[in-house]
Amino acid sequence: MSNGNKKTVLILKEKRQVPQKVKDNLKYFVKIKKEILKALKDKKMTVPELSEVINKPKDEILYYLMSLLKYGFVEVDGIDDMDEYFYYKLKDNG
Amino acid sequence: MQDNQKIKEYDALVIGAGIAGGEAALNLANLGNKVLLIDKDLTVGGKMIMLSKVFPTLDCSACITTPKVSEIARHSNITVLTSTEASDIIQKDDGTFEALITTQPRYVVVEDCTGCQLCEEACPVNVEDEYQYGLAGRKAAFIPFSIASPRAAAIDIENCTLCGACERACPTHCIDFTQTEEKYTISCKTVVAATGFQLFDPTLIPRYGFGRFKNVITSMQMERQLAPTRPFNTVLRPSDGKMPDNIAYILCTGSRDKTVGTPICSQVCCMYSTKQAQLLMGALPMADITLYYLHIRAFGKGFNEFYAQAQSMGVEFVKGKVAKITEKEDGNLILRYEDINTGKVTETEHDMVVLSVGILPNEGITGLFTNRKLELDPFNYVSQSSPLESPAMTTVDGVFVAGTASGPMDIPDSILSAGAASSEAANYIRKVSQNKVTV
Ligand SMILES: Cc1cc2nc3c(=O)[nH]c(=O)nc-3n(C[C@H](O)[C@H](O)[C@H](O)COP(=O)(O)OP(=O)(O)OC[C@H]3O[C@@H](n4cnc5c(N)ncnc54)[C@H](O)[C@@H]3O)c2cc1C
Ligand code: SF4
Ligand code: SF4
Repeated sequence: MSNGNKKTVLILKEKRQVPQKVKDNLKYFVKIKKEILKALKDKKMTVPELSEVINKPKDEILYYLMSLLKYGFVEVDGIDDMDEYFYYKLKDNG
Repeated sequence: MQDNQKIKEYDALVIGAGIAGGEAALNLANLGNKVLLIDKDLTVGGKMIMLSKVFPTLDCSACITTPKVSEIARHSNITVLTSTEASDIIQKDDGTFEALITTQPRYVVVEDCTGCQLCEEACPVNVEDEYQYGLAGRKAAFIPFSIASPRAAAIDIENCTLCGACERACPTHCIDFTQTEEKYTISCKTVVAATGFQLFDPTLIPRYGFGRFKNVITSMQMERQLAPTRPFNTVLRPSDGKMPDNIAYILCTGSRDKTVGTPICSQVCCMYSTKQAQLLMGALPMADITLYYLHIRAFGKGFNEFYAQAQSMGVEFVKGKVAKITEKEDGNLILRYEDINTGKVTETEHDMVVLSVGILPNEGITGLFTNRKLELDPFNYVSQSSPLESPAMTTVDGVFVAGTASGPMDIPDSILSAGAASSEAANYIRKVSQNKVTV
């Protein structure tokens, strides 16, 4: 909703400070998203494999990977021979 | 549907838009009453809209809830306000009520939002999704979930960087960061309290390791994993994304346990755990599912057959009291429990543990009234002043209780209870309209 020609976010920005932890959270997400997408660029990977490449705990990788799955950046590409871990790859968004 | 805000006089105020409040509002509206249905959440539907399937029929919960929710949204006699709470409720001498209604800003004009999700796509932020009970992330500009009602975006201002990307992306220009809290007074002839329940916080039982051991999750988290709008691509362990193949349930977590302040039975945990076990056997055909229980309470229609069905499918029921859970390096969990039949203390290994958390009261409701005392029962649910004569009656004339606000119960009982509350409320509206009430 435009308020005159001014975007309403600018009006709120004059009154509201963005907390540092919100900025830090965004920075972290941008970084880990980049790392996950880079790792998946060349080959499909499981959560433990991504964890090893990126050097981040597996639970954290799963959390961000599932967020990226929801946002349409990655998709499932089969399961390993033991039927334990799924492979994930970059989504072909045309 | 958030129009009609100019009408400040209603026949009924229904507080809480879960299945009980929604049902009560529909019944009252169908009798020609003007209803204001409010919920503090961004969507109506309460817990039920978040469930996978329902016991004992295994009907899809969303499929039952969605038509009801859209009937509520479209009903010309119902005004729905989300992100909204009531307070300062006063009963006047003629038996009617006045209430202060407070709506928090959503920063989106709901009527103009098409649910296109372009704002979501543009938003750079990722935070824990409360609708997935923390298992995955969501954006700061977000639609709670695909079947939310209203299916409109909201801005999580606490986590927003004020970058403006959502506002630039929105094709209908319905994002409005100048929205502020709205407060106004309404009058109504009756109030229905349908504020539902909260879930037991399992960190209060540290020996189960919830919050420390990643593969110890709650039943609501499993409910989300089994729902069509699930956080993962299938059921996975949160520690490493492995498909679990040996899952344990601990029943009565935070129910029938005086040490954590909940001495009563939650009524639904035995059956929802039995339901989830059956659904897991479908989702993970190779998995072993074990339920550790104290007693199985299969008291409702079709419940015992449902329990027998789970046993015949291969779900293992162990009468055992779990003393402690420890975590192995690979994320597997060792359960140390006393087998109640043999008295022997045994240890077993599982790769995931689900805590069947109990139901707790939402105590806040009593503080909403100023000149009347809405009393609570000994377990802090809304007190039913005459449970045999009319289970919906409370200690305030003209205020009726529906669903789990009066005690733990399942969906069919919540709907029945809403029926009782709405018929009592309709009767009271008639009496007030005919000046037959003095308080
Ligand atoms: C894990 C799990 C699985 C379950 N599975 C089943 C099943 O398979 N079958 C079955 O029959 N039952 C099941 N149940 C039980 C079922 O969820 C409840 O019976 C039902 O949801 C109760 O509905 P309700 O409307 O009373 O409460 P709720 O669903 O809790 O709704 C209450 C609403 O009130 C709102 N609210 C609260 N306080 C306020 C306030 N002050 N102002 C405004 N709004 C407020 C809340 O936001 C909420 O939307 C399950 C429960 C759990 C925990
Ligand atoms: S202004 Fe806030 S909600 Fe909108 S895109 Fe930026 S961070 Fe997301
Ligand atoms: S707020 Fe705008 S961009 Fe977001 S879902 Fe609604 S219409 Fe689409």
